[in-house]
Amino acid sequence: MQVYGSKELVEDVLNKDLCIGCGACVDLCPYFKTYKGKTAMIFPCTVQQGRCHAYCPKTESDLTELSMSLFGKPYDGSPMGHHEKILIARAGDKVHPAPFQAGGAVSALVTFAMKNGMVDAAVLTGRTGLIPYAELVTESESVARFTTSKYMAAPTLSAFNQGVKQGFQKIGVVGTPCQMTALAQMSINPLHTENFKDSVALKIGLFCTWALDTRKLAAYLSSRLDITGIKAMDIPPPPAEILVLDMGGKTIEIPLSEIRPLVPRTCLLCPDMTSEWADVSVGVLEGEPKFNTLIIRTRTGQDLVDKAVAQGFLTIREMPAVNLDHLSAAASNKKKRALAGAMEEGLLNTAENGKRAMMRIEKAVVERILA
Amino acid sequence: MSILTNGEPGKRYLLMGNEAIARGALEAGVSVCAGYPGTPSSEIIESLSKVAGNRNLYVEWSTNEKVSMEVAAAASFAGLRAMCPMKQNGVNVGSDFLLHLALSGTRGGMVIVPCDDPGALSSINEGESRQFARLLEVPLLEPGDFQEAKGITRWAFELSEELHSMVFVRSVTRLSHASGNVEFGELPQVNPKAGFKHDGFILDEMEGIITSAPVDYKHGLQHAKLKKAVERFENSPFNTYQGPEHPELILVTSSACNFYCREAIGLLDAGDRVGLLKLATTWPLPPKLIEKYLSMTDRFFVVEEVIPFTEENLKILAQEMAPRIGIKTIMGKRDGKLPMVGELNPDIVTQALAGLLGLEYKPQPDDYVQRSREIVTRAPNRELTFCPGCPHRASFWTINNVLKMDNRQGFVCGDIGCYTLSTLPTGFSASKTLHAMGSGTGVASGFGKLKQFGMDQPVLSVCGDSTFFASALPALFNAVHNQSDITMVLLDNSGTAMTGFQTHPGLKTGAMGQEVPAISIEAVCRSIGAKVKISDPFDIESTRNALFELLEENGVNVLILKQICTLSPEKKAKKKFEVRVMAEKCLGESCGCGRLCTRIFRCPGLIWNKDKGKAEINDVICIGCGVCGSICPNAAIEKKEVA
Ligand SMILES: Cc1cc2nc3c(=O)[nH]c(=O)nc-3n(C[C@H](O)[C@H](O)[C@H](O)COP(=O)(O)OP(=O)(O)OC[C@H]3O[C@@H](n4cnc5c(N)ncnc54)[C@H](O)[C@@H]3O)c2cc1C
Ligand code: SF4
Ligand code: SF4
Ligand code: SF4
Repeated sequence: MQVYGSKELVEDVLNKDLCIGCGACVDLCPYFKTYKGKTAMIFPCTVQQGRCHAYCPKTESDLTELSMSLFGKPYDGSPMGHHEKILIARAGDKVHPAPFQAGGAVSALVTFAMKNGMVDAAVLTGRTGLIPYAELVTESESVARFTTSKYMAAPTLSAFNQGVKQGFQKIGVVGTPCQMTALAQMSINPLHTENFKDSVALKIGLFCTWALDTRKLAAYLSSRLDITGIKAMDIPPPPAEILVLDMGGKTIEIPLSEIRPLVPRTCLLCPDMTSEWADVSVGVLEGEPKFNTLIIRTRTGQDLVDKAVAQGFLTIREMPAVNLDHLSAAASNKKKRALAGAMEEGLLNTAENGKRAMMRIEKAVVERILA
Repeated sequence: MSILTNGEPGKRYLLMGNEAIARGALEAGVSVCAGYPGTPSSEIIESLSKVAGNRNLYVEWSTNEKVSMEVAAAASFAGLRAMCPMKQNGVNVGSDFLLHLALSGTRGGMVIVPCDDPGALSSINEGESRQFARLLEVPLLEPGDFQEAKGITRWAFELSEELHSMVFVRSVTRLSHASGNVEFGELPQVNPKAGFKHDGFILDEMEGIITSAPVDYKHGLQHAKLKKAVERFENSPFNTYQGPEHPELILVTSSACNFYCREAIGLLDAGDRVGLLKLATTWPLPPKLIEKYLSMTDRFFVVEEVIPFTEENLKILAQEMAPRIGIKTIMGKRDGKLPMVGELNPDIVTQALAGLLGLEYKPQPDDYVQRSREIVTRAPNRELTFCPGCPHRASFWTINNVLKMDNRQGFVCGDIGCYTLSTLPTGFSASKTLHAMGSGTGVASGFGKLKQFGMDQPVLSVCGDSTFFASALPALFNAVHNQSDITMVLLDNSGTAMTGFQTHPGLKTGAMGQEVPAISIEAVCRSIGAKVKISDPFDIESTRNALFELLEENGVNVLILKQICTLSPEKKAKKKFEVRVMAEKCLGESCGCGRLCTRIFRCPGLIWNKDKGKAEINDVICIGCGVCGSICPNAAIEKKEVA
């Protein structure tokens, strides 16, 4: 992975409308800021190789390098990435019931990790009105304030950067696949800093097919309803094809065909549906709204799940093969779509005359994915 | 006690051009002087305000130039002598009134003193007020030195009274702000009684009503006045000629260019070859006098700044006289001998004259040029910047950051004041349009109506407290009434800071130091239905939040950023904070900072220690505002409140 500075980040990502607003470059320094779902550079910076560029999931993401470093094997392009196990899960009895998005596995795992000292702070994503915001929480009781999905790109990782600045060394992060990619890139010490310390202790990845542009969604919804009254939002698994808004008492359904134009183009170039660089990944479960799909990928993830189950924070069961097939098909479709798009735009493995790429994947793997 | 009233008649004193003008007015027995601050004119009113008490003067800083002319004119209508100084574009501001005043006529002597700024040393235009004299058809006088600045001002009042017309006395920066010896005359013992006669015969200039109608009659009268003015000009002692009886060439000049011409003739030792006709009565030109000098030789070189005003007027007369005196060659700006833009100086004039006389002239010896080039490369690059601790730096910091974060290509319509510098890096280049006083809000009001055509950028204007009263109010009313969507940021530093802390209607003190009622900007804005928020620009966070909130609001919003100017007499030398960079925390050039404080924020109180690779505070320059403490990304700048 080749690292450049803020100038290249602006040229390659912000100006090309590839920024998802994940927050990885925000609050590292005074120059990148987030406001209402958009990341902006306030002043140019002259540092030639910066963390902003290194961490951004939309610049020079070398998937082979990440896979080698995280899992000790090359990136093979399999639909759901490297994993140990795929299970069905939900929050256990020890977790206070709360309005979870699905089974509450995410909130349960974060709560447990905080209680048992695996993490000393957690980066979570809340919502004021419609606008998502990031927060670093240090009390496990606070986790319940952040349940439910905000189906918009969120600057989650800005709170991670603030946490590092404040000196936290064991931070747990809940985030989308792009955010997991950024965290993975941070953890491989891309700038070869001396005395490097990875402050990420736990990565809980969410499944994500696409997110919505915060400002576009706000504009779309506020012309139809009072956005301050939105209690929760849900995109049930196919074949529902709707966005459901819980308005406290009544629900409003909006066809996805109306909403799809609000998906940022960068999501259509994103190859990861299941947060392949996380320790554990969590999604919804087809047909059972109060359960989660749970993918365990690393030793850390396995350890966490084992202990959470043992202490009543999580319940798990086997995943039927038919669900796995559907999941795999969906994940592989996302990969195909992204790689084809990235190739067409010249963003994949771009190499000649010093050109910079969005993504680097070995040629044979690309061919296998697209086959 | 001011030398202006204490100096002894017959003695010579070193006076600034503006003080000489003030002394001339005093010797003429002026009673009322009103103006709006503007460089290079401000010292005229300032020096008169200091002697107002013991000379029974009334001196005021008016809300804007137009109002100042109206205030002065009223004094003239009541039989008093009145003066109205302003910077060049002040004439534009009041020109509508002047157009009518030229027709309506005046009673007590009324002198308008525009001080032009060739080269725009402290302006953003090179306006030429002489053109207005021709446009308005009123007499124009131009002093050619400091003694004349006094003498001509004094005479202008007599002329005005004789003609019943206002008279222009035009100065320029190099006359107004330079100093020279001036011999004082007597101060008159006057005790005029003011009274406005209005019930005489309607067309009686001294007792009827004062108006420009009936226009054809009044216009005819005005031309008769100009004729009389020309008669006086023919014999004016202020038009002088120096040189041989049969010169090869005559330099024709006026105003500060008189100095340059004299220097040029001296440097070239050409006193026996060329003559110098220095004109003080430059409009209308007196034809007999001109004919006399045009007959003396065939070649003329007009030396003047900004537009070729005298050159053109001279050419008209020369054409008319050609059948009698033959064809003359009149050189100057139109043939490119002198530049059409910028200030002149002795070098430019000497070089041009040398060319005309076939002489060699090098302004500097070659080795001097060489040496100075070398030295210049070693001199630090100094750019225009806000003062250390200037509230404007903090204000524009927040404005820039909010607009960038907001990310909708929002922009600022700039205005006139110190904050004009916000088009430059010191104001983070936030202002994107810049025109006349009050125009920022007017232009914003227009931008704020373009939603209908798909424009979705946030529109901001900035405006100082003095500018607010001077000319932004009509624009703000316009925006409210026409339902424009704008946010006006009022940079309230409690004074007309750029020109030297003159008072304005928002303050409790008048021009003569008297107590006056202050008008609340906040109350005015609220009363017209604008949403108003007030913040201290030094409190970066609350200012940012306030601005973010207002950007979400439709309609007209006003954010008043209140913090006294660093240089204000009230604040000077008082440090609020002791500020220090903690070297161990300073990130310097590395990723995470990249020298934000000395590379971007750039308060002159912050310095970059290259050897240590750390920022530092220069204690002598730092005024202790503490703002850099809030911008450092690593909390490396510590501020301690000074007890
Ligand atoms: C943008 C987005 C798209 C998704 N798309 C899919 C999909 O296509 N298929 C699928 O199976 N699942 C998808 N999910 C995941 C799913 O909606 C649930 O988040 C997941 O099943 C966990 O459920 P839970 O009950 O355990 O969550 P909860 O226990 O309710 O916890 C939710 C957690 O999500 C975090 N969070 C919420 N919004 C965001 C956000 N915008 N960015 C980062 N973190 C956030 C919160 O911090 C909270 O900790 C998506 C989630 C998001 C945010
Ligand atoms: S290079 Fe470093 S200092 Fe510069 S913008 Fe990026 S993260 Fe900030
Ligand atoms: S790091 Fe995230 S927020 Fe920053 S440019 Fe990349 S995608 Fe956008
Ligand atoms: S902003 Fe702070 S960290 Fe950066 S150079 Fe200045 S003092 Fe050092």
